[in-house]
Amino acid sequence: MTNMIEVRDLRKVFPNGVKAVDGVTVSVSEGEIFGLLGPNGAGKSTTIGVLTTLLLPTGGTASVAGVDVVRRPNAARLAIGYVSQDLAVDDSLTGLENLRLQAGIYHLSPDETRQRIAEVLEMVELTDRARDLVDTYSGGMRKRLDIACGLIHRPRVLFLDEPTLGLDIQTRRQIWQYVNRLRSEINMTIFLTTHYMDEADALCDRIAIIDHGHIKAMDTPSALKETLGGASVEFEFSQGSTQDIAGAIAILRPRPFVREIHEMGEQRYRAVVTNGEAAVPSIFDALSDRPVKIGAVSFKQPSLDDVFLHYTGRELRETGGEDAMRSRIMMRRMRS
Amino acid sequence: MPRMLSDVYWIFWREMRRFARQKSRIAVSIVQPVVWLVLMGSNMAGLTRNPIGAKMLGTSSYLTFMTPGIMVMTALFGGVFGGTSVIWDRRLGILNKMLAAPISRASVPLGKLLAMMVQNWVQVVMILLIAVIMGVRIATGLGGVLFLVLMASLFGMIMGSISLSLAARLKSIETLFAITNFLTMPLMFTSSAIFPIRAMPPWLQAIARVNPLSYAVTPMRTVATQGWLWGQIWPGALMTAALAIVAVLFTIRQFQRGVV
Repeated sequence: MTNMIEVRDLRKVFPNGVKAVDGVTVSVSEGEIFGLLGPNGAGKSTTIGVLTTLLLPTGGTASVAGVDVVRRPNAARLAIGYVSQDLAVDDSLTGLENLRLQAGIYHLSPDETRQRIAEVLEMVELTDRARDLVDTYSGGMRKRLDIACGLIHRPRVLFLDEPTLGLDIQTRRQIWQYVNRLRSEINMTIFLTTHYMDEADALCDRIAIIDHGHIKAMDTPSALKETLGGASVEFEFSQGSTQDIAGAIAILRPRPFVREIHEMGEQRYRAVVTNGEAAVPSIFDALSDRPVKIGAVSFKQPSLDDVFLHYTGRELRETGGEDAMRSRIMMRRMRS
Repeated sequence: MPRMLSDVYWIFWREMRRFARQKSRIAVSIVQPVVWLVLMGSNMAGLTRNPIGAKMLGTSSYLTFMTPGIMVMTALFGGVFGGTSVIWDRRLGILNKMLAAPISRASVPLGKLLAMMVQNWVQVVMILLIAVIMGVRIATGLGGVLFLVLMASLFGMIMGSISLSLAARLKSIETLFAITNFLTMPLMFTSSAIFPIRAMPPWLQAIARVNPLSYAVTPMRTVATQGWLWGQIWPGALMTAALAIVAVLFTIRQFQRGVV
């Protein structure tokens, strides 16, 4: 398998001294959906900026579709599609005109232009509204149009910077569908950034967790969750003396499905287990002849949130998206 | 080269589409010079009834004197605001979207300047029409009219280039406006666009003679009020053309160096 994106020891220091990206190395193979996950200011957009030829790196190398983005930017630009987090469509043009402009600056022939516009409009389900001014579009429609613009020249690699930031659930699902279709139908390589855990989990084949310009971990979502030691069961005893409870724990500890047990509070314990949800009945079975009774139990799969917390020591804030979208649309109103 | 021309065309196409939809912008850009013509024309009409005033203006009709000045000022304002579209494009992410495409960097300012020029033609032709309706007669006829339009366009190019060059570096529209306002007012009032140079005090005359706005207006005024007196036409015309070329090349350079 060929690597469509090859980044080695990438560094970017801005003139004000901020080290936005500090030694990032990433390889993405053809047809892979790769996610860069991190909080605001972690270096996600800077990395995309370098890969899309918008920023020059301070150090390291980056190539897309086998083309060095610093040495041959124009060849790289032909191979990539870029959809920024900005909703970069022109409100004072119609959807169709936005696409025509995009086809024009990628030098498509008139025949290609007609055919591709029809294709991408159908894909993002905007054929009916294509002749309306973008000014009358909702946030989700603008985003879909922007994605359509990024696809008009059939790029081999598509960069999506925060593709669903501030969008409603329905639109987010639609965009996930488009991304999956692009990969399954034309084997497009997709590199996206997100700070939504569920998005990374649902969409990406592999994820890199980035924080302060460093990659902290990189693997498949399930492998990343595995590193945290699998699922856990929390249970609380409602009956039994301290001695009985200690005895019960001593019986559970050596069981093969139990990896470790932590005391969480008074009569509350947490067992990291290896057999998934089956651990719950297993625990009850093991304690059936003991003089204790479990009053409450809960089962928890590790989430990417836990993974993120584990690698960065911080929770990923998920708020702010809706505000960002609203202020973007407000700003546009000011212009006209 | 054909690729670059195609890029310029698409940038131009977009600006023109936007322009065509902004009905209020078109209306204001036509009404404003009309107000100038009517107000200034009737305020200053007294000047030309005075024989000394008429001699200073070089014509017996203040409106004829004013028409080239208003054409140039319209080009000036059109050009000076040209940079705003670049700043908006940057803020909205449209500039990055274009720069991530294999588009020639020079085509961004060139396409915008070209659109500015065509929009300026619409305005100056309207001004001329209204002036003619108000009784202005251009001494050199249709050839003179074409010359006036060309000169106004060249001057608009200079101002547009300055504005675009600033916008290539500035992040906010407010800063751009602050700088361009600082430029336009002195440029206007120290030039021969509104007042005849001969009516100015000597120190102001010295400034007015080297003001680029005067360079553009002087040959236009000669053509409008007197005729093809080449001795009075070519110094200003050549200077304006040279400045326009330098300004456009400088702007292209600013965009080639990167505008992100």
